[in-house]
Amino acid sequence: MIASLPTLAAIAASWWLAPAEPPPLQRPTVVAPGETTEPTPPAEPAPTDAPTDVAPTDAPIEPVPTDAPTDVAPTDVPIEPPQPTEGELRVAAERSGPPYYTEEDLAALRTRHGVEAASPPPREPVRWRCLIADPTCRHSFEVQAMGGYAFRARQGDVSRGTVDRWHSARAQYDFWLSLPALVETEGKNRYTRMSMGPKGGVIFSDTGDLWGNLGIAARYWLGRGRWAPSIEITSALTYKLATREGNDVQGNHFHMQRGPVGFQGDVGFGLGGFGAIVVGGQYDSPLAREDVPEEYRVVSSGMFFVAFRGNILWGGPAVAAVAAHAGTRGVQRP
Amino acid sequence: MTALLASFLLVVAPQAEAAAAPSSSTASPAAAPLEPAPEAAAPEAAPANDVAAKANDEDEDYGPFFMADAPSDTAFATQPRKGKAPLLSVGQGAFCFVDDTHCKASLLIDATVAGGIRAPASHKGPDIPYAHFGFRGGLVVRPLMFKRKAWHPWGVGLVGGWTLGTGSVVVQSGDGGVEKSDTERTPAVRVGLVNQIWLSQRPHALHIDFTLGGVRSPVLTSGVPLIGTHAEVAFGWGGWGAVYAAGDFLDRDTRISFGFRAHGIAAGPIIALALLGAALGGAL
Repeated sequence: MIASLPTLAAIAASWWLAPAEPPPLQRPTVVAPGETTEPTPPAEPAPTDAPTDVAPTDAPIEPVPTDAPTDVAPTDVPIEPPQPTEGELRVAAERSGPPYYTEEDLAALRTRHGVEAASPPPREPVRWRCLIADPTCRHSFEVQAMGGYAFRARQGDVSRGTVDRWHSARAQYDFWLSLPALVETEGKNRYTRMSMGPKGGVIFSDTGDLWGNLGIAARYWLGRGRWAPSIEITSALTYKLATREGNDVQGNHFHMQRGPVGFQGDVGFGLGGFGAIVVGGQYDSPLAREDVPEEYRVVSSGMFFVAFRGNILWGGPAVAAVAAHAGTRGVQRP
Repeated sequence: MTALLASFLLVVAPQAEAAAAPSSSTASPAAAPLEPAPEAAAPEAAPANDVAAKANDEDEDYGPFFMADAPSDTAFATQPRKGKAPLLSVGQGAFCFVDDTHCKASLLIDATVAGGIRAPASHKGPDIPYAHFGFRGGLVVRPLMFKRKAWHPWGVGLVGGWTLGTGSVVVQSGDGGVEKSDTERTPAVRVGLVNQIWLSQRPHALHIDFTLGGVRSPVLTSGVPLIGTHAEVAFGWGGWGAVYAAGDFLDRDTRISFGFRAHGIAAGPIIALALLGAALGGAL
């Protein structure tokens, strides 16, 4: 160990002293023909100090010409450049700046991670300014209409455990704020895989029943095209606003009606943002506290529904909703 | 001592090399050691010509450089709006018909539905469900964006609205026993000062609105409209929609509601379809 220390120190000293002066440039030298026979001026030979600093080895050091002979007239007779000898320091050429990775490097990186070299072409711009949802939209603000069949039920006589059931229709008009919740990238194209955001609107059924709703709508895209399939999930709090049904207090005219907050939820399978087949349900909580007089109490009720829902801009869902709404005129309510 | 000297040299040697590095890095790549000099580099005998060689000024090549987009610059296929002009605005956002983050003045016009609870004074009966629908309008401005082009998150405005809510129920003890009364509906008119805090500069950005003002509405079943306090906090996305929690605080009559609000451009078709359907369905 101790014997190796002087050697280590000698190497370090050479490392320390070597860069004190930059090594002279080695270039082919051009010498006049007659100059080879004449004695060389004392100032023209290359100084021998610099090479000895560069490679302080035991190998014989050849004189290295420098820029000094430039005052000699150039001729057409070249002189063989000095051949590197054994032990001479060789320095590899370095790339001076970016890009630091060559195409070969990037190709190896793509191969390693299975990335295609060519980026897919950019998508066509979205139509209708994202008023109809599309996987290529970031935000989309949609006016949705839904119309369909509803199987409704209501608590009957508690003493006999009866339940009133009847067939009806359901129409719902909502405004969705679809915000990007899960985004993915292919090449330079970005896509929304899942959108989620608040929604609100009104729900109608037979006898002028009207609910407001406030909730969340989510859509998971199963593709990236304009007609990509999607799964839609919504849930909301519902609260009764009005009805045409009369009771002991109010007559049969369209009037405001209070009701406890309930909830509704549905799952739909859609194509693009155009339309979806929806299956869902709604539950209205009862208001039956003892401190509420009998005539102001509300029984629990609800419905299951199968409906068609979509953006009103292309007309189909709006027609379906209004038709379902109009179809409640003939409903026979128990 | 020898070991100490060796350690010292090992430490300082790389530093000395680093100090010497700039002198070699200034050399052109053609002047790298052991690289044959190009033929064009031969006339180096006249250094003064190096200055003359820059007569055409190669420095003009410096910036700005228009590089190709980086692979990470991804985008949706939506058509971006030119500049910062918000949607449905005039004068580069000087006035917007749909509120947005770069609007200096915006029109507020929207429809709402909300549900909650109505809590009368304890001796006036039980808490009962409450819901309402209604309309709101107003104007909001961004005072600190009028003279300066810089974006500022604060906005202030004046709003007014009308809602029609569910009726009230009063149950109280009287000389003749329990007295019960109710109303069919509860109209309310509100005026308030709204303060906005925009949380982002992106289009349709999220913002928080605080509204404080007054409400004029019949109290319980008295039929007498009184003036109370109205307060609301809302979370909105641009001017298109918002969810909010609001409270009306009147004499012995408090109403708390949670609702959804949509801009009139979106709410208009919904209202039209609902009225059409209700008329065809025989509700009206």
